[in-house]
Formats: sequence, structure tokens, C-alpha cells
Amino acid sequence: MSIRKEDVLHVARLAELDVAEADLETLAEQLGRIVDFVAQLNEVPAGEQAPPFLAGPDSVPLRPDEVRPEALQRGPADFAPEFRQGFFVVPRLGAMEGTE
Amino acid sequence: MSDVGFVAAAVREGRTSADSVAREVGRRLTRSAPLNATLDWSQAILDRQATRLDAMSATQRAARPLAGVPIALKDNIVTTDQPTTCASRILEGYVSPYDATVVTRLRAAGALIASKTNLDEFAMGSSTEHSCRGRVHHPLDPARVPGGSSGGSAALVAAGVVPAALGSETGGSVRQPASFCGVVGIKPSYGRVSRYGLVAFGSSLDQISVFGRTVDDASRVLAVISGHDEHDATSAPLPPLVLETPRRDLRGITVGLPREYFPTDLDGAVRAALDQVRDRVRDLGGTIREVSLPHTRYAVPTYYIVAPAEAAANLARFDGVRYGPRRVGAGGDVEALYRATRGQGFGAEVRRRILIGTYVLSSGYYDAYYRKAQQVRALLADDFRRVFEEQAVDMLLTPTTPTPAFRAGEKTDDPVAMYLADIFTCSINLAALPAISIPAGRSNGLPIGAQLVAPMFAEARMLSAAAALEAALDPTREVR
Repeated sequence: MSIRKEDVLHVARLAELDVAEADLETLAEQLGRIVDFVAQLNEVPAGEQAPPFLAGPDSVPLRPDEVRPEALQRGPADFAPEFRQGFFVVPRLGAMEGTE
Repeated sequence: MSDVGFVAAAVREGRTSADSVAREVGRRLTRSAPLNATLDWSQAILDRQATRLDAMSATQRAARPLAGVPIALKDNIVTTDQPTTCASRILEGYVSPYDATVVTRLRAAGALIASKTNLDEFAMGSSTEHSCRGRVHHPLDPARVPGGSSGGSAALVAAGVVPAALGSETGGSVRQPASFCGVVGIKPSYGRVSRYGLVAFGSSLDQISVFGRTVDDASRVLAVISGHDEHDATSAPLPPLVLETPRRDLRGITVGLPREYFPTDLDGAVRAALDQVRDRVRDLGGTIREVSLPHTRYAVPTYYIVAPAEAAANLARFDGVRYGPRRVGAGGDVEALYRATRGQGFGAEVRRRILIGTYVLSSGYYDAYYRKAQQVRALLADDFRRVFEEQAVDMLLTPTTPTPAFRAGEKTDDPVAMYLADIFTCSINLAALPAISIPAGRSNGLPIGAQLVAPMFAEARMLSAAAALEAALDPTREVR
């Protein structure tokens, strides 16, 4: 199955990832090869089943619901690009907000 | 005695100081710079840790099983005193506000955190060529790769800079570089070691893993970092691993050879090395039984659906809002910020995996890829269960990698060829099992690894059997 440039752009939009126009052809070719490779799984008959497999413990024990001291040695103001008055600051939402 | 045991005993008993160990490690880290295995280290930080240890009373030091032992950490394990970048521009300069649980446990055991090591960006790769800080060189042949993604940790242990190091596994990222570099790599059972503070890649697969120069070195470190952690809901409710006395023989042990791991086109030297290991198993009194894991050929395609799908979700958190550098895109709004930060911050392989992961999870493709992969993953896990439970096999013996270390650049343009480097390791991650790679011989000077795979949480027996085999093998001998 071949992957077209439009498919790459569509998936890149879903993934919130800018992709340079110059990279599109190579990416489409590489993603096509990967998708063809993983499509081998279609050889496994749908009827061939094993008990569902889930990594990890069968159940997750809950911790006591207790307030504990802050585990962070430094607050987010130290590592966030922009942090003010307890909030992460970002540019406005685009077209959804309109202009004032 | 192992290097870890030797250093810890010397520091505990006051025969040497942690300070002198710290200075020697600093000299070795400086000398190892051409390997490009280290991203960040500082003599001042090493000295500070050593001074704290040396200031303790003899009784306090005596209670620390890794007193003064220098240990390097793959740079996807967070630390408060050094940056954690995952070798990615998107985390440039990021310093975590908390220590990973494994780091807290290592510090409490008296270990010195020596350095943060180079890796394939976000642990995605099999050669440590996909790092924003440049590739890591193989310690025995700089034109070759050390394997990956934990190539920096493997190279530092192989070069004798540190006796042990932590890496992380999602599809073989410790065992494969251990095999390439001629050191020991242990991948514990899923849930054996807390992942609190490991930057997530594939959450149903990731497991912090250990390198050592010997089985004993790596085992001692694993024992310290293992055990339940309430900060990681996937950590198993088990106490820390208790090591068995290393075996001298393998009497009473049945070792399975899965025929799918010995294909007719297997590299001749790898086959010869594994033949020798099989003979040593017999010499040591073990029983060899040929077995079959019939779905093995589907492991790599399954892995390259499950892991990128989970990666696409996990890496959504890197968006320029909470961590690392921010890039404001052409639109000037928040969506442009996400796209620009991520588009410019992630390298080529990470971008490819996010795109593939998003594709297989997207509407119209989910059933054909992701749901199918979950079905085949269950079949792969069931293959192992049948062999262990129904055929009374105690552990499996396989090659760790299909070839010795390959040349840098050989596979960078062909992602599928690179993915096939994980062919003998990734099914073990999909099945959540423990495994170890030990050096088994060399071909033209390049190490070859043998892998033992054990049932869930049967690490103690696997490690004692590996120690018996290690003692019976000459890892530097050329195989023919």
C-alpha cells in the first residue's frame, strides 16, 4: 500500500507536527515501506486467538487518599517556557477566538 | 569478585574513599570523550556525592550495598542535579524537578551517579546514531555503532569507565547494545523495576534495564533498583529481587532452543558462538530441548505498530507549553506553537515514529493495524507460555542479535533494515518477560551475545544460570 503526500500531511496535522515540503516525498516513501512491512500481520488468520494479553499487574492498588508534601524540588516556573501566577501561558487559540 | 562488589567492599571497609573513586571516574570520563557516549557529567557533582559518603560513619556506609560505585544513567532517566534531554532538541536544557525512583534507590544504596549517557533520541533506534548530540562510537571499532538505543551506557561499561550503567528497553535497547559491545545486559520482567522518572516511550513495553561488565555487576545493581513503587501503578507488588548464590552447574535445568531464532541465513559467526554456548550448557549438566515459538516472524511488525502507537500518545506531552524550548509558528496561535515546537524539536526517526503511530491509530486504520497487532501480541505471549508451562522448559537460549555490530551509516536510510536489528529481542518485550545477554565470543574482534529468556519474575534463577555459563565461556575467544 502506498502512502501519498496528502496522507503524510493529514497524519502530521493529527499529530500536531510541522513537516517541511521538502521532506514530504522521502517521508511518504519511508512510511509506505514501514506500513507495507507491518501489513505482514494480515497473514495471521483472524480466527487464531490467544487469551488477551495485558502487560502489568492484574489490578492496580490505590494509594491512601492523603495529602502529602509537594514531591517536586522546584516549581514549574523553573522549567516551563512561560509561567505566570500559577498558569502556563500560551498564545491565543487561533481562528476559534476571532478578533477583538 | 566483580567490579561492583570490589569497589563497594573497598569503600564500605574504608580501604579507599569515595572521593578517590570519584576522581578516577572523572579521569576516565575525560579520556572516553572520543566515544561521545556521555552527554552531561561534572566533577563537582561527582565530588559532592563522594564527600557525603565519606562523611558518613563506618556503620552508615556498611549498610550501603553500592557504596562508592559509579553508575552512569541513560539520559531518559530524570535527575535533579543534571539535565535530562533524551538526546532531543525538544528537551534542551531541561532539568527535572524530581529524581526517578531508580535514582533515589541508587543514591540511598551509596552509588555515585557518574554521568548521563547518549542515546537514540527518546530511545528510538538500534544504533545510537539518532541523537541530536551526534552518534556514539563503538569502543572496539569507532567506524561501527555500539547498538542502541542505550548505546552510550553500553559503550561506557565496555570501555571500563564505569562498572555498571542503567539503560531502558522497549524492544531490546539494552540487550542489543550489550551484545554489540561485549558486556552483560539484563532486561527485567515488566513491572520488576519502577518506571517513575523514566521518560515514557511505549508504556506497555518500557522497562529500566541494567548493564554490567559481568553478570554479578549487573545483578547487584538490579537487586537495588527492583521492588514495588507506589509512584508507578504498573510496578508489580513484589519486594526487591533477592539474588541466588551463583550456580556452578546447570543440573536439573532444561534449556529450550527455539528453532525460529536459528534461521538458515543466520550469520555464521553468531551460529558458531551459540553452538559453543549450547555445548557449555550440556557440559554443565543442563538438558537441551528444541522448541518452537511459531509466531516469532510477526514480532517485529507487531512491535512496530504497538511501540509507535504508544509513542505517538506519550510524546504528545512535548508541545512547548510545559517543558523545554518553545517555538512560535507562523500563525502565532497556540496550534502553530505546538506544530512548530514539535516539528523543529523532534529528529527524523522520532517524527517518523509519531507519524506511523498516529497513522495506525487513525480512523479507518485502527482495526487493520492496532487491533490486529494486539491479537498477534497475545499469540506471541502465548507461544512463550506454552513452552515454559506445557513443555517444562526453564529458560530459552537464543542469539541476542542477528549479526555483530554493523557499520555506522549502514542502515540509517532504511528504517525497516534498522528495525530488523531487534528481531531476536523485541518479542521478549512484547511478552513482558525477563532476559539477559551475555558475551559469548568474538568474530573478527567484534563481540557476539547469547540471550537467556526466563518466565515472568524468574530473574533469580536466570541470573544464577547466566553466571554459571559466563564462568564456562571465554568471551574474548574468536569463534569459527
